Amino acid sequence: MKALAEMTHYEVLEVAPDAGPEELERAYRLARAAYAEESMALYSVFSEDDSSELRQRIELAYRVLADSVQRGAYDLSHGSAGAGSDEIDIALDLAGDDAAAPQDPFELVGEISGFDGFEEDSEQSFDGAWLRRCRLRCGVEIDQVAAVTKINPSYLRFIEEERFDRLPAAVYVRGFVGAYARCLGLDPGRVVPGYMKRLKETPKREPRKQQRRWLGRPV
Amino acid sequence: MGGGKGGVGKTLLCANLSAALAGSGYRVVAVDTDLEGANLHTCLGVSSPRVSLADFVAERESDVAKLALATRIPNLQLIAATYGNLSCAQPAAARRMELVAGLRRLDCDVVLLDCGAGSHAATVDYFLVGDDGLLVLHPEPTSVENSYGFLRAAYYRRMQVAMKKHEVRDRIREAMDQRNERGIRTPLDLLREIESMDPEEGRRFVATMRRFRPRIVVNEVTSSEDIKLGFAIRSVCRKFFGIDADYLGYINHDAVVHDCVLRRRLVLELHPRSDAAIYLHRIARKLMGALGPPRPPAAPAESGGEGG
Repeated sequence: MKALAEMTHYEVLEVAPDAGPEELERAYRLARAAYAEESMALYSVFSEDDSSELRQRIELAYRVLADSVQRGAYDLSHGSAGAGSDEIDIALDLAGDDAAAPQDPFELVGEISGFDGFEEDSEQSFDGAWLRRCRLRCGVEIDQVAAVTKINPSYLRFIEEERFDRLPAAVYVRGFVGAYARCLGLDPGRVVPGYMKRLKETPKREPRKQQRRWLGRPV
Repeated sequence: MGGGKGGVGKTLLCANLSAALAGSGYRVVAVDTDLEGANLHTCLGVSSPRVSLADFVAERESDVAKLALATRIPNLQLIAATYGNLSCAQPAAARRMELVAGLRRLDCDVVLLDCGAGSHAATVDYFLVGDDGLLVLHPEPTSVENSYGFLRAAYYRRMQVAMKKHEVRDRIREAMDQRNERGIRTPLDLLREIESMDPEEGRRFVATMRRFRPRIVVNEVTSSEDIKLGFAIRSVCRKFFGIDADYLGYINHDAVVHDCVLRRRLVLELHPRSDAAIYLHRIARKLMGALGPPRPPAAPAESGGEGG
């Protein structure tokens, strides 16, 4: 166990010293989320000062390690030692600068797919619940899928919940599911036919009869 | 299965994981240690257990193995915690030690212990007796707070037991008072303090810390943010407690779980293809990977099992 000041950039981001760019990116995103100001995981453990210091160290570690020149220099100067105090000062200077935060939702979806590292479903049932599981595995919310695919989030929710009666004509659903699958890095060629088969085989719910009523009594 | 807060799904997880392991050929004993709020028997469909842990506590029964009851699931036995003494449910420390020793001697492959809510010394001891500990939590601040409280209690208790010198143990007891006058606020402060008292004990502290690896389960997730909470807590465990926790998995919020509780049946039995069941199976598979394959039935009984 080390104090934060004694940790190397690798230890701060919890990656191995030979971590590749993808691994680094994933670790940085998870660390960023974990130590974000409103993060639930900090509650009752870290003080505001501690967590703010952690945030600065995470930003600094990422800036150095994501840049191959800086990383090379860092590796040379730090066999196993921690960051010097002058680097902390740089971090303080950079703390207000949020340039590293990617805002493009597509970039976000594309880069963190499969972030959770848990095994994939053995059975690929291509139903709504399976799609939701895939989405959660990718660490993506409905609204992010909606932002990328430009599909109304309500329709995405109905697709996951298989509320076929609330979805538009099959031809649109086909397009939606294809776009959804592509967004999560799934193969639409397999997902779409599987899903459409379910849609076709599910007995149509009777549309609610619109009874004409007058003062609460049917007429 | 521990977690500090009530209602986060410890019993649900214990019952369903027990059944999943039993279904894969492990001989399992699920033990309810919650003498103040026994529930596990209900989840496993044993409505009025003939004997329970309370009989051991009251010294009506001295053999822990005789408390195990058959359930309707093959390979799965239950030690219930019903009919606890209302004036003082938990056994005294010495009796508790006999109990955990008895649990480790049970003739089976895996023992799963369902801990009650809170961070009482008894609850923490049941959690620590296992080779593994599952920390179950909800993605809510209340649950996260209680989980850290529980982890803190388990951590200090584990360290205290591992230390050899009286003065070092006493120092840990002092540190357990979170407003202690020595200013020991974090596990790192404590380690520094112990290292300055006795370097040998300091090394023992670090070695014990490395072996203390709770496994995190986030229950009732509804968003990918909730899933990420498990990673965040794992990171906090590393940076604050210096321990390498494992993120064992998460369970999606699923309405079928409530239905199962109402009908006193297991999710894996009633809704085997539901979202919750798929996640429970995934956790069970990961756990089985850590356990290794079940022993062949003919093998002679060895002491010990795994506790959770």
